[in-house]
Amino acid sequence: MSKGSIFVKSAAAALAAGLLAAATLTPARAADPREELHASFEKAVKGKTVAWVPVWLGVLESTWTRVMKAHFDDYGMKLVVRDPNFKSDVQLQAVSTLINEKPDVLIVQNPTANLLARELKRAMDAGIYVVQVNMASNTLTDAYVGADVPKLGRMLAKDVVAECGGGKGSGKVAILEGEATAAYSLDMAKAATEVLKTDPTIKLVSSQPANWDANKAGDITTTVLQQHPDLCAILSVWGPMTAGAAQAVKNAGKQGQVKIYVASDGQPADCDLLEQGLFTKNLSYRADTQGEAIVNAVLGLLQNGDKPGSKKLAYYTTNYWVKSKDDRAYCFTVPKE
Amino acid sequence: MDSVRRLWYRHSPQLFISELLEKRWMEPIVPFTLMCLVFLAFVLTIPGYAGWPNLQQLMRSFPEQALVAMAMAVAVLAGGIDLSVGAVFAMANFLALYLLQILGLPFPVMIIGVLAFGALVGAINGGLIAYAKTRPFLTTMVVLIVVRASYNKLTTAYTRELASASETSDAWDFLGIGTIFGIPVNMVCLVLIGLAAHIYLTRLRPGLQIMAVGSSRKAARHAGIDVKRSLFTAYVVSGLLTAFAGILYAARQNSSGTDTGVGWEVNALAAVVLGGISLAGGRGTIARALIGAVIIFLLINGLVQLGTHGSLTTATIGFLLIAAVGFNVKWQKNKGKVLQKIYVSPTLVEFTPPPSIARDAGTAFAENDRLHAAEAIAYERIEGPEDVILDRQDNLYTVNRNGSIIRFLAPDYEVREEFARIGGRPLGMAMDREENLIVCVAGMGVYGVRPDRSVFKVTDETNRSWLRLKDDSRLYLADDLDIAPDGKIYFSEATIRYDLADWALDGFEGRGNGRLICHDPATGRSTTILKDLAFPNGVCLAHDAQSVLWASTWLCRIHRLWIAGPRAGQCEILVDNLPGYPDNINRASDGTYWLALVGIRSPVYDLAMADPGFRVRMVKQIPPDEWLCPGINYGCIAKFDDDGTVLETLWDPGGHSHPTITSMREHKGHLYIGGLENNRIGRLRLPGADPTWTSWASYWDDASPSAGRRAPVREMA
Repeated sequence: MSKGSIFVKSAAAALAAGLLAAATLTPARAADPREELHASFEKAVKGKTVAWVPVWLGVLESTWTRVMKAHFDDYGMKLVVRDPNFKSDVQLQAVSTLINEKPDVLIVQNPTANLLARELKRAMDAGIYVVQVNMASNTLTDAYVGADVPKLGRMLAKDVVAECGGGKGSGKVAILEGEATAAYSLDMAKAATEVLKTDPTIKLVSSQPANWDANKAGDITTTVLQQHPDLCAILSVWGPMTAGAAQAVKNAGKQGQVKIYVASDGQPADCDLLEQGLFTKNLSYRADTQGEAIVNAVLGLLQNGDKPGSKKLAYYTTNYWVKSKDDRAYCFTVPKE
Repeated sequence: MDSVRRLWYRHSPQLFISELLEKRWMEPIVPFTLMCLVFLAFVLTIPGYAGWPNLQQLMRSFPEQALVAMAMAVAVLAGGIDLSVGAVFAMANFLALYLLQILGLPFPVMIIGVLAFGALVGAINGGLIAYAKTRPFLTTMVVLIVVRASYNKLTTAYTRELASASETSDAWDFLGIGTIFGIPVNMVCLVLIGLAAHIYLTRLRPGLQIMAVGSSRKAARHAGIDVKRSLFTAYVVSGLLTAFAGILYAARQNSSGTDTGVGWEVNALAAVVLGGISLAGGRGTIARALIGAVIIFLLINGLVQLGTHGSLTTATIGFLLIAAVGFNVKWQKNKGKVLQKIYVSPTLVEFTPPPSIARDAGTAFAENDRLHAAEAIAYERIEGPEDVILDRQDNLYTVNRNGSIIRFLAPDYEVREEFARIGGRPLGMAMDREENLIVCVAGMGVYGVRPDRSVFKVTDETNRSWLRLKDDSRLYLADDLDIAPDGKIYFSEATIRYDLADWALDGFEGRGNGRLICHDPATGRSTTILKDLAFPNGVCLAHDAQSVLWASTWLCRIHRLWIAGPRAGQCEILVDNLPGYPDNINRASDGTYWLALVGIRSPVYDLAMADPGFRVRMVKQIPPDEWLCPGINYGCIAKFDDDGTVLETLWDPGGHSHPTITSMREHKGHLYIGGLENNRIGRLRLPGADPTWTSWASYWDDASPSAGRRAPVREMA
């Protein structure tokens, strides 16, 4: 056997292999729209970093975090969480530091309407998409995801009016605010107050901030009940702190007599309290589905490719009434780890 | 092996550590190290932590907390506490926003208004505490509650306005987000205020008075300080610092939340304690408060950056603070003890057996009773005449334990007068050409007394050696001196590690802690010419003025340092292996030298000197009165010549009249004997000595036979 024949053989083999390869590859070049979509999705989101700074990691924020992490992990994205543990100065530090780290998307929950206002603008100027969750800032950013807060206030207030207005009972209503300067609390209380004012028989006897704190809410409620033993209803902007108010009502022996309307993020305790009769009605916006909405907003921004700060989008979540055990579906469950 | 051992003991790390511990800047070493460790830990764990953007961010976030910690520190240093800082800070923050955003007042008016508020609260605190004598803790806590409650009321009342406030001006933005050469404006403010506060507390009278009041209110009152006003001032300063922090915070955050300033007084107090500032007041610096504040700030910031869960962050910080504060308290308390334990650092001294001093030994050192013939002068009228000297009128001068120079008048030395009072502990003396008495004073330096009794300082410092931690430019234990014909003063400093009271401890070390220094009156400058000498003691100019003889007490040697001629600058051993510990050296009338042996060596102690480990254990484990000490109870006077041959000795066996002989001076046929612990001066007639010879003349009288006489060694060279 000569060397020449080996050469010929191998050249023929190479040619055959080349033809075969060309034959199998050719159909791939033709556009498969679904694969192309997938490729462009991957290109837009994979490996991207999302930074998330909640006010703290409570039940609500942990649920958002859990849902986000599950999705972002699935898409091959990185989620960075910074927990300031309810300290606004630390939160500002965290956000400022993150801007320097240049994540692709920054998600924040604003403790007050002004605290992060300047930094959020700076973040967008630095080319970071900014998403705000539930608690908004004075600065509008690429996306707001969360409850339609004034709507929550109006819905709750309408029910309060239906219950206490029109000359039924004393007509005395108290509003429990959260943090006075937080947009969520401010806007909800404002919208609720406007609705309450439409019925002249309703008397708003108190509208005080409880700072998201059950103890403080309990203290406020105790005082209000002492001054107004014939209180008709309490409208509270957030569930967990209302537990303290409900307890105060119960301690005063007025459970059932004083109606408690709560804007709820759907955490299990809110439904438990309702089932125990401590809350009268919850208006739940379900943090778990909100989590998914946040993810979708992020995906939208990343795929859209607009310059950060060029559009201001809103993703309002839907509210569900929780009136009894049957509405348990509108409270989320916290999976055991 | 032996050489390694020698090297080890010569350059003992103990020496370095103990000198390090002595440094005042070592006091905050624990918080300082912790601060560096925390920073380093985050540099290693957080990518980009040491990068400029992050550093800038840290600098921007830190100043307000630092200022509040400083405010707390000022109150604590004044001996009080200011718990109202958190609330005052929040209120100042609100006021700044209110005045600027809601009332729309001009920027400077806002600054003045807020500072005035801070000063007012400080004045209320200070007024109550200083003038109404209320307790600082309760007073400031009540103020905290009142201010906090007002703050909550006000922020609730102005919620809407505050939430929608977004007015900005250039000055406001500059204060909040501006930079100067890349450094955030608020950081620049912090640095300037920190420096000012440091200078205020350490250099300026009102600040120093605050520190004094904090250290001891009683002592401050006795010193004539207006205690009340100082206390009042301290709280006003605290209020001002806090208010300024509030302004910076408002400019940066533009927000007045319910959590603003909550718990800041606790953080500030933690920073102060962590920095090692004594809660009892008076001890600490602004820098230490800042170190404490940096640690807390970096921990919180870093742990958040690491993505730690909030509750874990809080727990970690609490745990670290407890550990650090606990350790720091222990450190502050025990540092002195550690220093005491390791300060004495013995080295290796290897002796060979000395010549015998037995009566029948036949050596020059053989014991005799020749000092028995000495008569006592000034018996019980003098305490510790370490050195004696006579002037041209035969008056006798000696040093006294209480820091004065005592003169006994010729001819009978019955009249005693205090010639001059210098202070310190005067030791060796010499007389210069102008008949000024030049004296080495332990603890002070070298001083002179003119014939008209006026005292003047010759020198109290020398050049500092740069590679040594300890500042050795001061004179600690100037011991003996002599004066060259050109007026240069050669003096020994026995040790720079111990003062006179602990000179025996230096003996346990046997280390070269002393030095020979030359003071040139022409330039007024002193220079160390030989250092690391083992207790250099007596100094004597040779008869030919070509060399200086000096004795190393712990090594039992006499050295000769050439100061003139072809060998100038060289040092050689003239007499080695003396049987006792040499002290002062003085000229004798016959061209030889007198030498005082302050104590006698013993085989046991020689053995101990060869075993540094033994001496370390001794110093550490048993009480001082049971230590094995060099035998300095009794000694003798010896005479040696320029060749280093010891010619004869004079003994007082048992040291009945002359224990611890430290000096002797020949004058007109008599030898005058001094002792460090003695209660008399001895006078011994010297048969055969030149009855006209005086020490002064041998130095300064050109007609004197010994002046200008040349030593045989010199001629041979």
